[in-house]
Amino acid sequence: MSNWIDGNEGVYVAGIGLHPYQFPNDTPYTHLGLTAVRAALSDAGVGWSQVQSAYVGTTSIGMAAGRVMFRHLGSTGLAVTQVENASASGSFAFRQACLEVSNGVSDVVLAMGVDKHGDGRRAANKDGLERLSDTANIPAVKFGLLAKKYLRERNSDVTSMAKVAVKNHGNAALNPYAQFRKPRTLEQVLASPKVVGDLTVQQCCPRGDGAAAVLLVSGRALQRLGLDPKRCIRVRASIASSERDETTYGEGTVELVRSSAHAACEQAGINATELDLVELHDAFSVEELLYSEAIGVCQMGEGAAFLERGDSQIGGRCAINASGGLIGMGHPLGPTGIGQIAEITRQLRGEALNRQHPNARWGLAHMIGLGSVAIAHVLSI
Amino acid sequence: MTTSYTALKPLRPTLYRLAQDGCSLDFIYVQCSACGGLTFPANAPGCMHCGDPLEGATQLVRPGRGTLLEYVTIHVPMVPGMPVPCIAGDIRFAEGVIEEGVIAVSDESSLQLGMELKAVATPGPSSEVYTCQFVPATMKESQ
Repeated sequence: MSNWIDGNEGVYVAGIGLHPYQFPNDTPYTHLGLTAVRAALSDAGVGWSQVQSAYVGTTSIGMAAGRVMFRHLGSTGLAVTQVENASASGSFAFRQACLEVSNGVSDVVLAMGVDKHGDGRRAANKDGLERLSDTANIPAVKFGLLAKKYLRERNSDVTSMAKVAVKNHGNAALNPYAQFRKPRTLEQVLASPKVVGDLTVQQCCPRGDGAAAVLLVSGRALQRLGLDPKRCIRVRASIASSERDETTYGEGTVELVRSSAHAACEQAGINATELDLVELHDAFSVEELLYSEAIGVCQMGEGAAFLERGDSQIGGRCAINASGGLIGMGHPLGPTGIGQIAEITRQLRGEALNRQHPNARWGLAHMIGLGSVAIAHVLSI
Repeated sequence: MTTSYTALKPLRPTLYRLAQDGCSLDFIYVQCSACGGLTFPANAPGCMHCGDPLEGATQLVRPGRGTLLEYVTIHVPMVPGMPVPCIAGDIRFAEGVIEEGVIAVSDESSLQLGMELKAVATPGPSSEVYTCQFVPATMKESQ
């Protein structure tokens, strides 16, 4: 077999469901998660008893969240696996589900993410090694440094990255599952309080709670269950990797994004310029400029111009973060990567209503996580 | 007013110690016997360049100096009790050894990319310890 993702007659997303991302509150994670799972099952037209295995991406809830939720759907004896990989937890849960389906272990697998805002405990702070700076492992500082480097090297000013936030808050305003539902002007983004360097609050993703779920089926099960093939979106590539030694200072994360996205496009048999949709890790606005170049939807050095021309808008050459991205839709960690898959599925089905990107055929979901790890999935109609 | 650090302990003793001048800091590295590269901190469980377990590797003490690669002002406290605004920078101390440090200048105007910084002792969170911050290597000590 030339491409493992095509095993078992292909891997398809047959159902999607979300609980809106929201600011932390006292809603139990079971409520969030079950809302998303029930919606995904209903969307697919598949019963819980038909699901053979489930992967749960979460960072902050604690041990064994899956069974605590799923017993309310019925104790069917399915396999349950919890996955944690920081921001990319949901994406890695999705990949594990893809592997299980494509290898023929199961035909109907749930991948979901659910999270409550936690205390941010990180393994990097427990490795027994002291550090010179208390902020050495804090992403906002890392990306504040990277933003400064980017703007200097591209001879750009702060407005170029602030416009990412304007676009993504605008997209989020059209997304009923988004944490932020208000469009923001460039003036508002720039006038919001500074966090690190030129990154203002409105250029940074919020923390929050939420849930997202997708139901995967094999091509064989798609036919056996009588699902509507027009609403089943095929997974064409799944690539995971982690950071190599930096050869050039500051390029480590960007190189990781570049190599993983290019490998995913290669596995899918397309060029990055053929992508109609990209959902990417815009936890901080500058990341979208950096990664749109690294992924290859535009030329190196063209990220800001790509945005300025409207090429990354819904209706442009490649809609980037049509969901609102992490900045607008939110970043509850566990669900985020699954939410990207749900958005691309919705768009490729043509069901995104007032934020529909026209004629969408190919979508890339790309996430990075602390460490750094990267993961990329390509989907197509 | 001058501060004497000689009677104080380092807040992070695996990383640095007071230099002979009583104000600057020396850094503690370990040199890999397999590849020759320096690893920081010295108690890392493997060479950061080649993965050698560093058993029996030699510790080296060198002046805490490095080249400023990038810097940025932090406007909000990222950890409890953190004074803001403050400036953090990425500093290259040796080939392949780049760490973030706190730079003790009042604003960014006195910093330039590529300038040499040196580590100096500054008052720690309690009266018994000193901590590490960086200043331009050309800056004279207050002591």
